[in-house]
Amino acid sequence: MDSLRQEKIHKFEEFVDRRLKPDLVRAIAERDKVFDQQKIFSDLRKNIENLEKNSVTNLRTLVNLGSEVYMQAEVPDTQRIFVDVGLGFHVEFTWSEALKFISLREEKLERQIEEYTRLIASIKAQIKLVCEGIRELLQIPEEKTVEGRVF
Amino acid sequence: MGKPEVKGTVTSLSSVFPPEEMQKAAKMVEGKLSEKQNEMNQLKEFIADNTSLINLVQKLPDELHHDIMVPFGKAAFFPGRLIHTNEFLVLLGESYYADRTAKQTVEILKRRGKSLMSKVDALKAEMQDLKAEASFFDSTASEVADDLVEIREYEEDNSTERVSQSGPVELESPSVAEADNKVSASEDDEYARLMSRLEELEKEELAAEDEDANANATETETDSDEDELTEAAFHRKKVEGYSSLDHNQRYLVSQPRKQLQQSKGKDPMNEEMSTTYNHQDLTNQLACTGLTAEPVTKGEISRGRIVHQDTKMLNPPVNASVPSEKTSLKQIIHDSSRNEKPVQTPKSEFDSSKAFTGSIIEHTENLEKKLPEQKTTSSQSSDSKPSKPVSRFKMQRK
Repeated sequence: MDSLRQEKIHKFEEFVDRRLKPDLVRAIAERDKVFDQQKIFSDLRKNIENLEKNSVTNLRTLVNLGSEVYMQAEVPDTQRIFVDVGLGFHVEFTWSEALKFISLREEKLERQIEEYTRLIASIKAQIKLVCEGIRELLQIPEEKTVEGRVF
Repeated sequence: MGKPEVKGTVTSLSSVFPPEEMQKAAKMVEGKLSEKQNEMNQLKEFIADNTSLINLVQKLPDELHHDIMVPFGKAAFFPGRLIHTNEFLVLLGESYYADRTAKQTVEILKRRGKSLMSKVDALKAEMQDLKAEASFFDSTASEVADDLVEIREYEEDNSTERVSQSGPVELESPSVAEADNKVSASEDDEYARLMSRLEELEKEELAAEDEDANANATETETDSDEDELTEAAFHRKKVEGYSSLDHNQRYLVSQPRKQLQQSKGKDPMNEEMSTTYNHQDLTNQLACTGLTAEPVTKGEISRGRIVHQDTKMLNPPVNASVPSEKTSLKQIIHDSSRNEKPVQTPKSEFDSSKAFTGSIIEHTENLEKKLPEQKTTSSQSSDSKPSKPVSRFKMQRK
């Protein structure tokens, strides 16, 4: 009797450790990626708004050539901006168009984040369920075998 | 001359290196090895980037301006131009930057490349060490899987000069399995070595007997050794020179003093153990480590042999000790009463004072005949012999 229970408990534990926990880790990683994307676009949006506010036309920057070796670069016309729209494409935008696109992009990212959050929550709930089952299995036999056990 | 008693230990490799731990260790080493491999790959990437950057830096000053797409964050670009193509801002670390020309930047980058290469070399050395560890673990694991057994033998020459002289003869004609032959062969060599020392030891032994006996009263080494030694203290010394079982010898020396105390009960056990060990040791010495299974499996046979050997060894030097040993052996083998031992041991003491009979007859039966004192015991043992398989060997010896 007890050995069977032990086996079951062992199986449940293994299931949790091998399936559920790695799933949880993966889901969290994916969600973090989307978070990063979201941050990038929000930064871009802020910068463009800044440029618009200050009516900046010329721009001098330092370009990273690799291994933190910089070189000066000049942007004569800041009206045109190329934004990454995915799949390796960059589209030429004006500022206002760029801002619109960015806001659309941000919405899409938010929806993705929400989906991932739901997935993570469900995995966590499953883990808890299995743990509760194990606890039940452990408690019941304990009650029988251990006299005077008080919950 | 009596065969030098061989004592030793048999340890299975699996006990020294448990297979599970071996596997764990092997896995750990593998993990470390893969880590190092990853680091190595990363370093190689850095080196490749560095060289390509050197090329770029050397090419850029060729033009005044370069039209490029200037990144703006991670997801946007501005069309623009590279200006001041000979000025480079290089990060030196810790938020320190340096404005350098192309040439100077190239020098900086080359120095960086050198340090990277030295790191790669260090990593390679570490990886080689790990690989050596891994191969060691693999080989040991395979050995453990083969159930190899590590056998260590210590030879103790308990026989006196006469014993040693007769020993080779006796040893050379074992009627038992190969082990005997091997044992005798090795013993012959050893005897030859110790012959010169035997005389010296004899003298020393006699003097030291008294001292050692008192000092080593508590030792309870193999009874067989003990018995042998009782008669010939010098033999023990020879054995000392022979093997590392000095303590055994002393034990034997002290035996006569405390035979009664020690012999009771313990002797048969010790004898049995010592005999088996002796046998094993002998075979090991001769055959080398290859004979992993033989000593263990030939326990029965070895016992018989040992009896013979022991008897051989015992015969020449010590009449009294031999019978006592034999009887003790017999006791072990035959599970006969252990009265003989206590009876014999005192007799052996008494006999030790006497000169050796010089008879090389190894058979316990022969010895028994020789020693009138042990007649009763020997007769008992002899009677017990035929009833047991061991006696068969003894018969052959005769």
